[in-house]
Parts: sequence; C-alpha cells; structure tokens
Amino acid sequence: MTSEQGVKAFAKKLIGNQQFLLLLVWFAMIAFFSAFNSIFFSTAVFGNILLDWAPVVLMAVGQTFVIISGGIDLSVGSTVALSGVVAAFQMQYMMNAGRNQWLAIAVGTLVAALTGVVIGLVNGFLITKAKIVPFIATLVTMGAASGLAIVYSGGAPIGGGPDKAITLSVPWLGPLSSPGIAVIFIVLICGLFLHRARFGRYTFAIGSNEFAARSAGINVNRHYMKIYALSGLLSGLAGMYFYCRLGSGAPTSGYGGELDAIASVVIGGAALSGGIGRITGTVLGALILTTTTSGLIIIGVAPDWKQVVVAILIAAAVLLQGLKSGSRGGSR
Amino acid sequence: MTSPLYEVRNISKKYGSVTALDSADFQINPGEIVGLVGDNGAGKSTLVKVLSGAHKPTSGQIFLEGQEVSWDSPRDAIEAGVETLYQDSGLAPHLTVGANVFLGREKYLPGLLGKFGFLDNKAMNKEAHEDLERVGIAVPASNRSISQLSGGQRQAVAIGRAVSWASKVIILDEPTNHLGARQAGEVLEVMKAAKTKGLGVVFISHTLPHVLAVTDRIVVLRLGKIVANAPTSEFDAEKLLGTITGLNQLQ
Repeated sequence: MTSEQGVKAFAKKLIGNQQFLLLLVWFAMIAFFSAFNSIFFSTAVFGNILLDWAPVVLMAVGQTFVIISGGIDLSVGSTVALSGVVAAFQMQYMMNAGRNQWLAIAVGTLVAALTGVVIGLVNGFLITKAKIVPFIATLVTMGAASGLAIVYSGGAPIGGGPDKAITLSVPWLGPLSSPGIAVIFIVLICGLFLHRARFGRYTFAIGSNEFAARSAGINVNRHYMKIYALSGLLSGLAGMYFYCRLGSGAPTSGYGGELDAIASVVIGGAALSGGIGRITGTVLGALILTTTTSGLIIIGVAPDWKQVVVAILIAAAVLLQGLKSGSRGGSR
Repeated sequence: MTSPLYEVRNISKKYGSVTALDSADFQINPGEIVGLVGDNGAGKSTLVKVLSGAHKPTSGQIFLEGQEVSWDSPRDAIEAGVETLYQDSGLAPHLTVGANVFLGREKYLPGLLGKFGFLDNKAMNKEAHEDLERVGIAVPASNRSISQLSGGQRQAVAIGRAVSWASKVIILDEPTNHLGARQAGEVLEVMKAAKTKGLGVVFISHTLPHVLAVTDRIVVLRLGKIVANAPTSEFDAEKLLGTITGLNQLQ
C-alpha cells in the first residue's frame, strides 16, 4: 500500500468515526462563537464551560445507560433538586451540631447520592413491577421529586452548611476544581463499565433485544433496577455538585436537567430506540451543549433562550440520526 | 424402558379463558430428533415456551432425566442443559457475533478486573469462532455485529450458539424459516450432528419435507391437543398434512 492510499484510508476511517465528527462540531462551535466575540476564546470562558459541563455530564452518563437500554429517565433534573435540598438540610443540621466541616461534606455527599438512588429504585420499581413505561414512570417521579424539593425547602435555597463546600469549587488543576476532577473520574469509571464489563454488555443486550437478553438467562428486571439506580445516583451527585458551587441546596437546581442530559446523549449519537451509544459521544455531546449555551450568552442572546436552543439541538440530533440510519438501508 | 431424557406429562396452559394447551404429553430421548408440527394456533409455541422455561404451565409435570423439575425462568432450563432457539428473535442485533454466542455466560478477565465483571472479549471471540466452526456452519468473523449479517448467517449463529451450549436438549423453533435451500440443508445437517452427539432435538417447523427428512418421530398438535405421536416412518406427506388439518378423520 502506498503512503497516499494509507492516508486516504485513514481519512475515510476518521470521517466514519462519530467521535471525530463530534470533535469537529465542537471546534466549529468554538470558532463560530470566537468569531462573534473574541472574549469567547479564553481560558476563563473555557473554565466556565467546564463548570457547567460537569453536572450535565453526570446526568447524561446515567441517561446514556438508560437510553442504551431502550428507556428514558425524565427525573434526573428533579433528582438534582431534591438530593441537593435533602443534603443541604443534613449538612445544616451537622454544622448546627458543631460537627467537622469535612465530615458534614462527606455525609452530605452520601445523603445526596442515596436520595438519588432511592428515586432511581422507585423508577425501576414502577417500570419492572408496575409495568409502567419508562417515559411515564420517570415523568411521575420527576413531578414528585421536584414537588417534594419545593415543599421540603419552602421554595428557598437551604444554606447554613459547611463553608468549605464552596472553597472546594475553586479550580486548582488548570480550570478544574476537586468536584470537577471527581466528575471526570466517575465518567471514566462509568465508561469502562459500559464498554468493557458485563454491566454494559447486558445494558446493550437489553436495549438491542430484550427478548434475546431474557432468553439468554439475563435477569432483565434486576438490570433495569440497577440502571435506573445508577442514573439516580449520578443525578444525586450532580445535586451535591450544585451545592458546592452555590453554597446552598436550591429547589431550582437542575431545572431542565432532563433536557440537557437527553440532548447530550442524543448529540453523542445514542439511539433513542436502544442498543447504540458511547460514553465518549455523551461526553462530547455535553461539551457541545454547554459550549453552545455559554456561547449564546456571550454573543448576547438572553439566557432565557437556553431551553429553546437545547430543544432544537435534540431535534437536530435525532433528525440527523434518522437520516444516517435511513441511508444505511433496512437493517433491523 | 428407562425414563425419557425430557418429558412433560399432562401439561395444560391457559391464558385467561383461552386454553392454549390441553393435557399434553411429550417425551424426547437422547439422540432423537422429534418433529413438532401443527397449524398456526395449534399450541406449538405454547409447548415450546413451557419446555424452555419461558412460561409456567397452568397444570402438569415436567421431568428431566426422570427427575421432576420446575422452571421459574429460561435461565433455570438453560442451566439444566435445555437450550432453545426461538423463531427469528434470539439474537441481539447491535452486539457482535462473539458477544451473542456468550450472552448470559460471559468470560471474564483474570484477576481483580474479572471480579468487577470486566470481559475477556478476545477469548470469547476466539472460542465463539471455534464453537461455531465445530457445529459445522460457515461463520462470519466474531467481531462483526449481528445487524451486518444476512438472514442465513444470523440463523447460523443462533443455531451454532444453541447447539454449542446445549448439554441435553435443544429446541429449535422454525430454524429453517427465511433460509434458502442450501442454508436450510446446512441447518438440517447441524441437527443430525447434534443428534449423534446424543442430544435430544425438538424440531418445530411448518416445512413438512424438512420434518419428514430428518426426524425420528413426529408429534402433531391440533387445537391445543396432541393428536398424533408416531415414528416418522408411519407418515408420508399426505398423511401428515391430513393429521395437521384434521381432514383425515373426516374421510
């Protein structure tokens, strides 16, 4: 093979690689916004994008497992709100009792994670035992969790927790803070479990053909429980992330988070019909999403437009997927 | 006579007020191919689901090697050595050939990673290829996904998977459906190979020439009841068709 052919083959492979295309889209967005306003191309803005990106990618990674399994989790944003509020009360209580700040943060993190897991298990129960389709089951918990967050908090952010939570959010490794580093670590672990381990294999198998998974002896219902619990766990941690960033647990944190998460996953190339998806796609999808929303603010579009833009991104991503699978022909 | 390899006695299955299977008896011996035939809605699928552990019968008993058993899920039956190949939908199209062959019984990496459930894809792909080759079917590369294969190749993988895992009984539901003549012939050869291995093979099919060609015994279901159970030599195409449709009795 001549070197020219080698280059051609390599180029062809790159163009066929979805992750590479997503990276190109991301670069294009950066170039676009920088052309509008040169302020955009700075480490400060990039650091801010990463701050926004971390909680979105947490929710989106859980959503990736859910969507690959053929389901959907609408409750992730509300889970962020409720777990943040519950953890805030716990930490406020511990501070009032004169406990150590770090201990309060550790227990708060655990409480936030557990709150998320409980919501996830309720989702799993509604889906596997009550046989409610994921869309409705998680719509129910979405409403219940956000309602509970408002009732429990009285509608106001719950503060009075450890001050060190906020100092945790100060970047020290380039643009990264400790919670940000923790998020990257969690995403990495989840990616390995999705693409290299049995947990992911079963998730793909169920989304690809639930009947085949069942007849191969996989305990499909138990796996659904685990997937939704994982989604809840990661959203609960996103709730704690917001707490550290704001210094309080607000019932409005995570508002619209389900849109952000679903958008990141579908931009990342996962199919809403199940069986297809990659963590790297989701990571880049969340990056493209948060870059877009930050960029729009910097070029002067009012932040209120954010959800409209996210909705358009979802529609565009799903439409593109349809075109792509349509051109590939009738594979079942 | 020793007890049959796999047997159901007096099995009934009701779905609400509909009786899909009515007091059916069915046996299979080691190294025997039994054809299970009947019109649509005769109860074949229901009997298959009872045999494979997918559905629990409303009443009746199941025996494997003379021991009474009760399947709570397909996993129980699979672990006891009873493999089922379902019509069309037994594979996960987005997964690779290797992943499908090992679905539900994955191989893990050695050491700590394996304890966390990390998969040894290399070993699975290699073994999947060897298993399928041993079964005697032309197989595609283990790392290709099922959705990239033709209907015949998919069926080959599904059958290879079932035969290589079955230790006692293999149930094949319409395995020659949608296959060309040559591929169907290959499938029939695979069934004969499974028989010489000493497996009990249950062959469900609408293609009566295939049934007459490979089976040792034919069981006919009609309207949820077993209406015939006799050596294949007692049937010809006309008589078999008559028994399935019930027109024999009218003559």
